[in-house]
Amino acid sequence: MECDVCVIGAGAGGAVVAAELAEGGASVVLLEQGPHHDADSFTARPPQMLASLYRDAGQTITLGNPPILLPLGSGLGGTTLVNSGTCFRTPPAVLDAWRQQFGLQVDEQELDRCFTRVEEAISVAEVTPELAGGNAAVARRGAQRLGWSHGYLRRNAKGCVGSGVCAFGCPTSAKQHTGITYVPRAKAAGAQVLTGACVQRIATRGGRFSHVEAHLADGGALAVQADHAVIAAGTIHTPGLLASSGLGLASGQLGRNLSIHPATAGFALMDERVDMGRGVPQSFYVDEFAAQGIIFEGVAGPPSYAAMSLPLSGAKHAQAMARYPYLAQFGLMVSDSSRGSVHAPAAAARLLPGAAGRLVSRLGQALVIRYDLDDADLARFRSGLQRLQELFHAAGAREVYLPLPEGVAPASARRSDLRLMAFHPLGTARAHSRAGEGVVDSNLALHGVQGVHVADGSVVPSSLGVNPQLTIMALASRLAFHLLGAPVPGSRVEPEHVDIPCPS
Amino acid sequence: MDAEPARPLQSFLAAAPLPQRLGLRLLLAIGRRPRGTAFLTAMPALSQVVRSLLAMERYDEPGLSAALGFDAQQVVARGRALRRAEGRP
Repeated sequence: MECDVCVIGAGAGGAVVAAELAEGGASVVLLEQGPHHDADSFTARPPQMLASLYRDAGQTITLGNPPILLPLGSGLGGTTLVNSGTCFRTPPAVLDAWRQQFGLQVDEQELDRCFTRVEEAISVAEVTPELAGGNAAVARRGAQRLGWSHGYLRRNAKGCVGSGVCAFGCPTSAKQHTGITYVPRAKAAGAQVLTGACVQRIATRGGRFSHVEAHLADGGALAVQADHAVIAAGTIHTPGLLASSGLGLASGQLGRNLSIHPATAGFALMDERVDMGRGVPQSFYVDEFAAQGIIFEGVAGPPSYAAMSLPLSGAKHAQAMARYPYLAQFGLMVSDSSRGSVHAPAAAARLLPGAAGRLVSRLGQALVIRYDLDDADLARFRSGLQRLQELFHAAGAREVYLPLPEGVAPASARRSDLRLMAFHPLGTARAHSRAGEGVVDSNLALHGVQGVHVADGSVVPSSLGVNPQLTIMALASRLAFHLLGAPVPGSRVEPEHVDIPCPS
Repeated sequence: MDAEPARPLQSFLAAAPLPQRLGLRLLLAIGRRPRGTAFLTAMPALSQVVRSLLAMERYDEPGLSAALGFDAQQVVARGRALRRAEGRP
């Protein structure tokens, strides 16, 4: 196949780049390893949906102290298919830090236009109190009584009825993930979209991109010749693809600088009926302690999800679950200073001969993700869990169940006491103006090679403190217009025609 | 109506990478036995994993889930009807 640009990955970054490029007149091939998911196959049942919508059934895990579950979406839409839909623009303080610490030249007005464009494309709007559900009402009451800063979240949804299963496949297709927004736009503009395409190598010749080699689901092989490649395989998998292609290695930063926004959640037993399974699971936030790197966001789900995460056992677990309609849950996310790394044994296994290579590849296909919580982040969790307890008590909780072993108070929690998950991996191919310090430059072009770009969370050089999907999409839009050599247009929505009254 | 899977965890385990698949199957085999549960209490982290998986399986049972106020079949049926009525993908 031949095209102007070959895009690898159809998640938050790749789908956006592909659509903008195709609509701008470029010929595009979009390769996605996962499948297309038909919303008719969504069952609203977590075990089945974890198996079908998530990479490795959602069992990607970091190794370290503590081990952290890091679920990743799989298929057209990538993780936007299974996230909560929360949308924040990049905080201005983070953009300042990017300029000062990483030398990144990001024109704020241009980025603003990208944000506006993305927000229109995926229908970003604030959740209404009616849709936010009982879980948000509990947190709101607590925050109001404590005088803590709070608000309803903005999210990418259209026609949402609060099915309560954003993370397990939206049954109404209300969540505007990239698989139903940007991918159809890319196709409509002529892009060729191939699912089940597992990219093996980015080939270069004479310091310039040459072609992409991929295996197809039917066992066939594919080579895509193009002028440019845009890699958007995700923060966890992009480093392995670059490394196995012998690219991005010069700075020594590839696979390093992993931030993940580690998170946990507590439960409260309320006197009122909460019905956490109804309404938007992540609809409300409390940002009173954001300057300290702590943000609270709603989490909720069906009984099977709650039962899995409820930090009780035996009879106490059963008694609390019998009161499921009266359980509220809220999450705590940390803007981490800890940094981890990603290693790809499968990439190294390609260098081993025969059966040994196949065995190592099979055992190591899940990658090795190393991440240890540092002292500052442990302190953030201790403080955050205390604050979460305060929030629930202020809301009138009868009992609070923190995610700690019985008898362990937040202030004395050790790393190994914490039960953490993470949803926002970033930074493993970080952008930096200097080739010796980063993998890509300010324009997301790979240092040292022409024609290779990266457009996923791996380029984001620091923890954001907020959910990253909008940042990734805006940076991807910006890259697309840079490749087109065109300015980023303003709003996609044409101004409404206004009849100007004639002066009498 | 969709056919009910023999055990909701089967597909979940089958989709896991090989090391997790083998490990979780072994842990679940131990954890489903009364003496196995006692054995696992000496290893809190593993015990927690087993408890979480068994709890997810138990409360995924449609009758129990619906009794607690979440009827997955109804949620899906409403979603399908809305998608069709509004021409969504």
